[in-house]
Amino acid sequence: MLSFFLPLFLVLLLAGLPVFFGLIAAPAILLWLNGQERDIVLLYRNVYNGMDSFPLMAIPFFMLAGEVMNRSNITLRLVEFSQAMMGHLRGGLAHVNVLSSMLFAGLSGSAVADVSALGSMLIPAMEKQGYTRSFAAAITAASSIIGPIIPPSGIMIIYAYVMGESVAALFLAGIVPGIIMGGGLMLAIHFLADKYNLPARTNRATWGERGQASLKAVWPLLTPVIILGGILGGIFTPTEAAAVAVGYSTLIGFFVLRTLKLADMPEVLTNAGMTSAVVLLLVGAAMAFKTVASLSHTPELLAAIILGLSDNPLVLLFLINLLLFIVGMFLDAGPAIIILGPILGPIFASLGVDSVHFAIIMAVNLTVGLLTPPMGLVLFVTSSVSGLRVETIARATLPFLAVEVFVIFLITFVPAISLTVPRFFGFVH
Amino acid sequence: MGALLSLTNGLGTINATLLTLGRRLGASMVAAMVIIILLQVFYRYVLGNALAWPEEAARFLMLWMTGLMAPTAFRRGGFVSIEMLTRLLPSAISALLSLALLGLSLTVMIVGVQIGWSEVTGLGGRFASDSLHVPISFDLSTWIKVPKSWMMASLVVGLALLISVCIELILRSLVTLAGQTHRLIEIPGSVIGGAE
Repeated sequence: MLSFFLPLFLVLLLAGLPVFFGLIAAPAILLWLNGQERDIVLLYRNVYNGMDSFPLMAIPFFMLAGEVMNRSNITLRLVEFSQAMMGHLRGGLAHVNVLSSMLFAGLSGSAVADVSALGSMLIPAMEKQGYTRSFAAAITAASSIIGPIIPPSGIMIIYAYVMGESVAALFLAGIVPGIIMGGGLMLAIHFLADKYNLPARTNRATWGERGQASLKAVWPLLTPVIILGGILGGIFTPTEAAAVAVGYSTLIGFFVLRTLKLADMPEVLTNAGMTSAVVLLLVGAAMAFKTVASLSHTPELLAAIILGLSDNPLVLLFLINLLLFIVGMFLDAGPAIIILGPILGPIFASLGVDSVHFAIIMAVNLTVGLLTPPMGLVLFVTSSVSGLRVETIARATLPFLAVEVFVIFLITFVPAISLTVPRFFGFVH
Repeated sequence: MGALLSLTNGLGTINATLLTLGRRLGASMVAAMVIIILLQVFYRYVLGNALAWPEEAARFLMLWMTGLMAPTAFRRGGFVSIEMLTRLLPSAISALLSLALLGLSLTVMIVGVQIGWSEVTGLGGRFASDSLHVPISFDLSTWIKVPKSWMMASLVVGLALLISVCIELILRSLVTLAGQTHRLIEIPGSVIGGAE
């Protein structure tokens, strides 16, 4: 009977029950019907225990670092740097948009923060230079997806915690897929230049101008070096690295750029705290849900069904990509990872798929889901930033979405893309 | 209708006041968490003396921050859900479905508070923290270890605030069903985003 908790959960979810309550209600109802009241106490206890974790503290810290950087206008420095490097190309600002997202990804790890910060600056600027607003919004939305792929990444921290993986391994595994995603979008801009009548080439920035832009951007660009270098060098744990990122960005904002004011801090801290509180509750509920999932033998049942479809891991990975893509249309990446990770992860591990590779497949696939209607978080934020309808942006992103789906397949079927860097650092054998 | 409206807006005002206090405390706790962890790093690398308490103190603050700030997110519609069905259904049926879902959420929280309270006052709550101490005399001469119940109470307080918000949302749904939405006090916009 307990194995019905998953269908019940899906029914409650589709009816509109918030994920947090659904993760507790579905197993609790079945435990109660089964007469296992004592296990309901365990279920709630696991919600608390799931939240009481030091590694999870990296989530509020990275969110806070992102908020501080946004408020400090660090994004402007990144855009100026990208402009100096790529602004001369045909469709220059579109390339600048993608490169800025890749650099911003190394600071914040959030697609939503990327769209809010870069979109409000670049969409009007692109429109002024002759791009249509829908194209500008589409490339801003599509490139923001790189945020949670290149480290640091909130969803990778959640996956690592829920699945017992190494945060450092997942961070490293996201680097190349994120760069490929950015490269793919730039290629798409290059080949679509005629179709969209993108602005012509302009004069290349001089080396002096490039040097000046680099100098201005050096402080924010050092953030990912400090985070990853600190973690890989064994100096900090990921949580400490996140706290150091907060301290570093606050110092830059207050004393180097002087764009951050003490009066900004209450709102910055409140935003980061409130968003983190929701995520932490979800993770706690997911840990409780995971316990019931393993008690009910649901993963084994699902594994039997999935393995019945084919015994070829490549075919199964293709099917899983489709499943994740569909799930991504309805659920945000974080909750989807929390729900599906504990169920799908063990199945593919038993098929011989490396757990870090599978984590990246899930993370990238579900992150791209932020761009797909009807429930695409990035589409909603881009809509509010650009003033365009969600449907208009969704249609305009289609060519870029096609590129991202292609990259998902590349990542899925070429494990070396995700595994080479973590293998080099000894995280994958 | 007048009584329902007064009750709804009255509870709304109480919730808004309590949650403002919760947000302020929560924001201070986020700042304190960062300072404590930076202190840990500073002591370990600069002074060569690893402190025992920062990790547990920061976890203590994180749990309280969650309990105090999540209710605001819930009140502003920031809890992740799939709202497609409620959008597709005719408004009256959609409002009834929303009421049923709020009722189920309320049940989850009431059971949670009951279990949480028995945990806080039970054996588990009597265990002491590994590294956190508080003074119990004004001259700071006597210190005790912080009981685990102080940490566990964070979730109970959080659930109690969530229950209060949930009751307000149920009352608001009833007022909406009666077509009096315009007479409700306003709740600020939703919190967008998550770990994405």
